[in-house]
Amino acid sequence: MADSDEEEDYMNMVFDDAPKQPTHETSLQRAARKRKEGEARARQKSKAEREADAEAAREASLATALPETNKGFKMMAKFGFKQGDTLGKAENARKEPIQVNIKEDRSGIGLESEKKRKLREAWDEAARAAKRSKEEEGDYLEDRKQQQKEKKMERDLDSAQRTAERLSEEEAEEADGPSPEEKPLKHINVLWRIRARRRVEKEHDWRQRRELENSLASRLPTLAQEDEHNDSKVAQGHDVTPFYASLENDLEDEDPELAEFEALPVSERLTKVLVFLREKYKYCLYCGYQYPDAAMEGCPGITEEDHD
Amino acid sequence: MATKREYTTEDSSSSAKRPKMENGNGKLDAANNPYLAHWNDDKSNTANGLYDFKRHATTTKQASAAEDGPLNPFTGRSLSNRYMGILKQRRDLPVHKQRDEFLKLYQESQILVFVGETGSGKTTQIPQFVLFDDMPHKSAQMVACTQPRRVAAMSVAQRVAEEMDVELGEEVGYSIRFEDKTGPNTMLKYMTDGMLLREAMHDNNLTRYSTIILDEAHERTLATDILMGLLKEVVLRRKDLKLIIMSATLDATKFQKYFHNAPLLAVPGRTHPVEIFYTPAPERDYVEAALRTVLQIHATEDEGDILLFLTGEEEIEDACRKISLEAQDLVREDAAGPLVVYPLYGTLPPAQQQKIFSPAPPPTRPGGRPGRKCIVSTNIAETSLTIDGIVYVVDPGFSKQKVYNPRIRVESLLVSPISKASAQQRAGRAGRTRPGKCFRLYTESAFKKELIEQTYPEVLRSNLASTVLELKKLGVEDLVHFDLMDPPAPETLMRALEELNYLACLDDEGELTTLGSLASQFPLDPALAVMLIVSPEFYCSNEILSLTALLSVPQVFVRPASNRKRADEMKDLFAHPDGDHLTMLNVYHAFKSEEAQANPKQWCHDHFLSYRALQQADNVRLQLKRIMEREELELMSTSFENKKYYENIRRALVAGFFMQVAKRDGNGKAYMTVKDEQNVLLHPSTVLGQDSEWVVYNEFVLTTKNYIRTVTSVKPEWLLDIAPNYYDVAAFKKGEIKTALQRVATKIQRKEQEKGKR
Repeated sequence: MADSDEEEDYMNMVFDDAPKQPTHETSLQRAARKRKEGEARARQKSKAEREADAEAAREASLATALPETNKGFKMMAKFGFKQGDTLGKAENARKEPIQVNIKEDRSGIGLESEKKRKLREAWDEAARAAKRSKEEEGDYLEDRKQQQKEKKMERDLDSAQRTAERLSEEEAEEADGPSPEEKPLKHINVLWRIRARRRVEKEHDWRQRRELENSLASRLPTLAQEDEHNDSKVAQGHDVTPFYASLENDLEDEDPELAEFEALPVSERLTKVLVFLREKYKYCLYCGYQYPDAAMEGCPGITEEDHD
Repeated sequence: MATKREYTTEDSSSSAKRPKMENGNGKLDAANNPYLAHWNDDKSNTANGLYDFKRHATTTKQASAAEDGPLNPFTGRSLSNRYMGILKQRRDLPVHKQRDEFLKLYQESQILVFVGETGSGKTTQIPQFVLFDDMPHKSAQMVACTQPRRVAAMSVAQRVAEEMDVELGEEVGYSIRFEDKTGPNTMLKYMTDGMLLREAMHDNNLTRYSTIILDEAHERTLATDILMGLLKEVVLRRKDLKLIIMSATLDATKFQKYFHNAPLLAVPGRTHPVEIFYTPAPERDYVEAALRTVLQIHATEDEGDILLFLTGEEEIEDACRKISLEAQDLVREDAAGPLVVYPLYGTLPPAQQQKIFSPAPPPTRPGGRPGRKCIVSTNIAETSLTIDGIVYVVDPGFSKQKVYNPRIRVESLLVSPISKASAQQRAGRAGRTRPGKCFRLYTESAFKKELIEQTYPEVLRSNLASTVLELKKLGVEDLVHFDLMDPPAPETLMRALEELNYLACLDDEGELTTLGSLASQFPLDPALAVMLIVSPEFYCSNEILSLTALLSVPQVFVRPASNRKRADEMKDLFAHPDGDHLTMLNVYHAFKSEEAQANPKQWCHDHFLSYRALQQADNVRLQLKRIMEREELELMSTSFENKKYYENIRRALVAGFFMQVAKRDGNGKAYMTVKDEQNVLLHPSTVLGQDSEWVVYNEFVLTTKNYIRTVTSVKPEWLLDIAPNYYDVAAFKKGEIKTALQRVATKIQRKEQEKGKR
């Protein structure tokens, strides 16, 4: 595959576009790089990876404004339009297109925010403080950039955790250790324990819903009924909130280690997982490659910026 | 039927031309005006009940007397008994009480904002009030009343024709895309807002109309918004034109402000108080919560029908099934009376839509618990349809809304939270007959904090390519400063201009080209119009005409949940290995065959095709064909035996849709869209069998996965050949697509060189 590509490149005479290689690259380094690139290309991406890629590409495009080189821009400029202007004569005309938000589940209005609030209160607090000071500076663009960066970091964190989990499972399998399902939550490395926790939660949800659907009680009142006592509501399955509340308590009270880790800012969590991956598995997320030796020759560094 | 016969004889007797008597303010010499031939009718003249009316100076008293008969003031025929019955009902409507007030404001000002809640009777009555005062027939003009939906335009026109005791299509008519039911006598025309916009393209000052009523303006459809922008300018040029903006919500101050502080008249609707309930905590699954709530209401609440709002066809059908099943259990346990569940959504056949008006079922046994009906609907039931008997509304707070983003050029229907205004409107549906209850499946604080105030108007959520073309044709030069009520983001206009430029509808200066001017004649998206116009160059305009019609109607394939396998087998009968467009064409050709036309309904049923959609496509095709003939575009086909038959069609497809192309990413199933570089998958419904490296697609659907729907395979050489401006390889971002295109370009070059050598 790699070979055929090289051949095509040659036929097309596209040398001009080829990135200028740093002059100090030795032949061995180049060979290593080529091999690595070839392997990366040849690897079939998993479904989940593809979906993540698609989402990332979409989010990136959605966050990028059309450039001034756009033909439409020139036509508009003829009528005095400048970058940053709005259309029409109304006072509060839009500057940016409406956000595209894709709803992925059937959660009701307010659930998402409620969940977020409960799970990451500590982190939110920090973010709010940071935001406040930023807003005071009035640096809106900077703020947006920061938000996007954080979003990206969260995605990276997720894939890093996924990789870590996969690698550790593979290792466990080779060592014939207990399969992850049998492992109690607490024995999973805290760095990616949240993933297992989420799975358990989902399972609970699903079971709960099944029960609700199957029981007669599920058809009967759930909308606020003042006269009923809370416990009896729970018993009858009228109100499911307390159940979930206890589950969330589990997370916060009984697993202080996880709670502590989750309370860290996203960048810190990401760095921790990245470092772990490198030390334990000689794996670099941004190279997408597991190196054969601890030197990790060819990998420019830990962070994504190093890979630019 | 009797009236019709009577009328035709009368009409033929009037065909002899007679000099016209001076009538009212007759400034025109009507006798010589061929358009006013219908005046030259002795009978209708003597019978004209409005002869002593002075234009824009009439009173309610005068009008009422004329309405009482005995002769129809507009036609001169005697009024039927039925008319008298309806007249009594009409005078009970809330708007009637304010007829005086309305007339005063209407006569005094050029623009009027009128607010009346659903059920006030504004859509049927106000245009008639106007007729008695404006008397458009005396100046050979008309009153137009726009509606956002085709169905509404048709059904309201039908109703008003009955109220005025005239034949539909005569004094009262309607005009919707692909259907015009008006005649030379028409004085009141209900029409979709889109149709009025199209008329403005040929008649920039809308001189055919003396009064224009924009109804349901609160819905803020794209066409209504554009019309408001246009009419704001037209009223300055035409001081004799009157404009009424009608809205159902109290957000009318925005309209007032936009129209230079026009006066406002508000008529209360007939509504009862509605008690609102919120859930104590956010719901984990809004559909499941909705089902529970409906069954809870059924089991515990007093008599009264239920209206549940959900988002789309599939969700609604599924919910209907589940509610019915659970309700049967309740009946069996004698915990509740019988419950009948009806779905309601736009693509439902009209006969089935009518079912929602059938009464609730009776108790299973005498003296048993009363029956109830439950309607599960999209937001059609929010404003446009009025269903009496609804006492309980269940509102999960979501609806499917169109979203357009110019950055990735995707126009898609997405499930999104509704606005506060929408939630209020929904709640209001419970109070139509008596005090009602609305169950909101979210918390009160979520209502306050998470819902936006007003739903975004369509102009902010649409691709504006087609609108820009229309505006250019309307003579609007400066689109940047066109005064819209809510201007969209500049990038939306930028993208539309760019797309039209690539389609060669606008030149680099933004001026309309010949092709653009021609494309604007078709009530189609620019890409479709361009494809149709250039199709003679590919010797397949007949086929492209059919295809365009098929792409303009709802899905022709039916795939019922209960019989998916069989439906797929039937679809395979028509499948063309090169893609869905060609498959649709095969369907159409089969549908037009003698065998199918013997009993088309049965044939469609047997083959899992929508008879309605195909019939509609047939009608659309005919309308488009007329335009093609008028514009002297040749209709032709490549002979079916010719091996280029399908290739020509695919090439013509590229000529319109070259901006909607995707290339396969590596060897997998994934594709990547050209230029925007979005990762997409082929929609599971596609028939595309073979491995196709390049495809054109009709639609980019955004869900949790990105899909492209209705795809056909094409060759990259065609892209470079047919759309060289767009496929300017040097300008492409570096990547797999650029490399592939470069390879193709080199290949073409080499071939040409070889040819040159020979």
